[in-house]
Amino acid sequence: MPELIAFVLLLGITAYSTAGGVDFGAGIWDLLAGQSPRGKKARELIDHAMAPVWEMNNVWLVLSIVVVWTGFPLLFQTVFSALYAIYALALLGLILRGAFFAFRHVAGEPRTHRIADLVFGVSSVLTPFFFAASLGAIAAGDLRVFSPMTVAFGLVSLAATAFSGASFLVADARRYGATELVGYFQRRAVVAAVALIVVGTLALAAIASENPGLFKAMLAGKGLPFALATMVLTPVAAFLIWRGTFRWHRVLTVGAVGSMVFAWAFAQSPYLIPGRLTIDQAIAPTPTQVLLLVVTVVLVLVIVPAIGLLVYLDQRGALESPQS
Amino acid sequence: MIDAVEPALLPSRIQMAFTLATHVLLVPMGVAMPFLTLLMEGIGLYRKDPVALKIARRWSVVMAVQFAVGAVTGTILSFEFGILWPRMLGRFGAAFGLGFAIEGLAFFLEAIFIGVYLYGWNRLPARVHFLLGLVLPPAGVLGAASVLSANAWMNTPGGYSLQDGRVTNVDVMSALFPRALGYEFWHFLLALYLTAGFVVASVYAVAWLRGRRDHYQRLAFAVPFTVAAVLTPAQLVIGDLSARALVEDQPAKFAAMEVTWQTRDHNPEVIGGVIDDSGNVHLGISIPALDSILVGYTPNQVVRGLSTFAADSRPNTFEVNLTHLAFDVMVGLGIVGAALSAWYLWVVWRRRRLPEQRWFYRLAALAGAGSYLTVELGWITTEVGRQPWIVYNVMRVSDAVTTAPAAFIWSMLTVLVVTYALIAFFFVTLLLRLSARWRREDLGEPGAPEVGVPYGPRPRTLEG
Ligand code: HDD
Ligand code: HEM
Ligand code: HEM
Repeated sequence: MPELIAFVLLLGITAYSTAGGVDFGAGIWDLLAGQSPRGKKARELIDHAMAPVWEMNNVWLVLSIVVVWTGFPLLFQTVFSALYAIYALALLGLILRGAFFAFRHVAGEPRTHRIADLVFGVSSVLTPFFFAASLGAIAAGDLRVFSPMTVAFGLVSLAATAFSGASFLVADARRYGATELVGYFQRRAVVAAVALIVVGTLALAAIASENPGLFKAMLAGKGLPFALATMVLTPVAAFLIWRGTFRWHRVLTVGAVGSMVFAWAFAQSPYLIPGRLTIDQAIAPTPTQVLLLVVTVVLVLVIVPAIGLLVYLDQRGALESPQS
Repeated sequence: MIDAVEPALLPSRIQMAFTLATHVLLVPMGVAMPFLTLLMEGIGLYRKDPVALKIARRWSVVMAVQFAVGAVTGTILSFEFGILWPRMLGRFGAAFGLGFAIEGLAFFLEAIFIGVYLYGWNRLPARVHFLLGLVLPPAGVLGAASVLSANAWMNTPGGYSLQDGRVTNVDVMSALFPRALGYEFWHFLLALYLTAGFVVASVYAVAWLRGRRDHYQRLAFAVPFTVAAVLTPAQLVIGDLSARALVEDQPAKFAAMEVTWQTRDHNPEVIGGVIDDSGNVHLGISIPALDSILVGYTPNQVVRGLSTFAADSRPNTFEVNLTHLAFDVMVGLGIVGAALSAWYLWVVWRRRRLPEQRWFYRLAALAGAGSYLTVELGWITTEVGRQPWIVYNVMRVSDAVTTAPAAFIWSMLTVLVVTYALIAFFFVTLLLRLSARWRREDLGEPGAPEVGVPYGPRPRTLEG
């Protein structure tokens, strides 16, 4: 059962990385869009596409952290005692992002509007970078705040979120009839995919030098299937987007990013912190595990239909303003 | 001296108090506003009153914006448990954290259904829209109950066994339902609903004072104010039960609330006033034997005093005074609120109309801010009165605090204060702009209330 709890945690982290990643990626493109007329148009699309989703993604984050402190109290204590500074920076990004996303809808003057855009964009970089950096510090096993691993994981997350964001924005541009932006985000998705492959390779090099055991498990052990999946899915998704085949590219993008998270987690299992803390050492007593699993099952039973309802209404256009 | 050992203690406590006190300002509307909105929608559907439906639709927009701010401040709180109190969660997370696992479920539901409810106006059949909305109030109550379960656990911990400083077994039921939950839950739930009622009504009380007194304003005032007026008197009864329960559960907190120094019978009830380090009470009005009578219904009831606790196991003088004054003002404001409620209910019942005195509306306009203040004071009573314990009689705050450098926590606190001030500013600006726009719409401009709200529905295509 401890493994099941760890798996629930992994699902939470993966959901945040993929679904949240799409949002953060959109923020990154927002930052890079500039003030040209086309950039403004792109920003408008980003706003439009993101509006109803971000608080939902916060839920994945909160859920994951709750599973850590109830299910693996010792992990929570160890990680936060060492990495508080990283989390404080990630949090800073999180608050600023939320606040300034709301604020740009309120800002009247062009100048304040530009400042709001800037803060929103920068915070979209901070949060994924530092959350991923904390995973890098854990994967290294030494929990150092500043190390090749933290930087490598942070950079990979930026490339991955930029890729996810662009991939979804291509679809949004089509959906909202912004034809001229389809090509704009197609190009960006492909560039981001190439960047992801490059930094991904560099990150593997960092892992090989900092934590050879993990490297081996990723390329020869439990992480292998997922590492392979990432290596195949990323270029395939990018290729489809480049070709303009818009059927499966979003699913493949999510698959590529999700497999990356899985590759890391499976490679370091049964360790929560490689060399220091295993799942069995950190796990809470059995009744707590049972309760966590019950909550998870109820969550799935309740939330899946609820999300289904939301998606159904959204697809029917029931959730959009009537055309005026 | 403690501060010399744990340099980060002071900024950590201030930061926790600041962020919690901010978050809890958003909670009443988050939990109780869906109920008020649905009540209004129900009235609109039942009486076929388009004005009531318009009010409900506007309220739902406020609800959604506020939910977003609540989600951000709440996420911060979860991380603060790790940044500020890693040793508490490390030791007790398996027992203390259970409530939060259920909270996650409740907020998930709320987030989804607030979305559906907000976007669904006029796009879903009216009845379906209303029925889907009915998920919201229970989800909010479940969320509040589970956070309170965690807080009640800190006050009356139980349901776990410790070995070598690690929790080795957990009794899920007693950990989820600590004794203090019985009174804290009902007291807090009523506080949420009556606060939301007073706050919403106060907006329209101001409008009344400015001369806007049509059907729209009267309805939007009467519905939430009636809810609040019915609940406030009941709150006094439940508050009294809480206080009485503390005599057994947390005697040091109770002694602090009543500034009782020596254990004695015929203990007076001191209203206001401050205690000094040697136990003398200055200023304040002392009513002979009343405290004993309130506790045991007889002047001979013996009440335990602060001097019977070791100095390091009871709140210090400053904390005692803070607890005492917060408690007194909470009770005072509660009594004022109950009096205002009685005035309102009397007029409505006897005359079958709303009160017409300006004074009534002046007080009603203040009642919103007053309830927020009362909620904060209640939490100060609970949290400061528990000091120096983070888990009552089990773990001291100074044993839970982070080992991070104090300078780090101070800087984080500074940044948080600045960003929260910004958020508050945006939040208020947004509400004011919405209100101005709605006023324009009432004068004839077309438009849907949600358009342009950060989390509102999107037009089908991009403009321009
Ligand atoms: C508008 C809200 C409101 C009103 C009118 C009152 N209270 Fe209250 N009180 C709260 C809102 C509140 C609160 C903020 O909701 C608290 C904080 C923790 C809790 O459970 O409820 C609280 C806590 C609290 C506690 C501490 C409980 C604990 O530490 O476990 C006591 C003893 C009382 N209250 C007693 C009273 C009495 C005797 C009142 C009136 C005569 C009263 N309250 C009116
Ligand atoms: C929601 C309204 C709440 C408010 C306004 C509030 C207020 C406060 C205040 C004022 C303090 C500082 C006490 C001092 O410095 O002497 C404090 C501390 C604390 N509270 Fe609360 N509290 C609230 C609810 C909760 C809940 C629900 C929890 C946990 C489940 C909690 C956990 C803590 C912790 C861990 C501390 C730090 C230890 C301490 O200094 O007592 N609080 N809170
Ligand atoms: C008595 C105290 C509290 C109550 C009743 C309460 C209630 C709520 C409510 C109703 C919301 C939804 C947002 C809204 O409607 O405004 C919310 C959000 C949140 N609260 Fe609190 N809260 C309390 C204290 C705390 C504490 C102490 C924590 C953290 C440790 C916390 C963590 C959260 C989180 C993480 C969210 C965001 C959930 C999401 O993303 O959907 N809350 N809270």
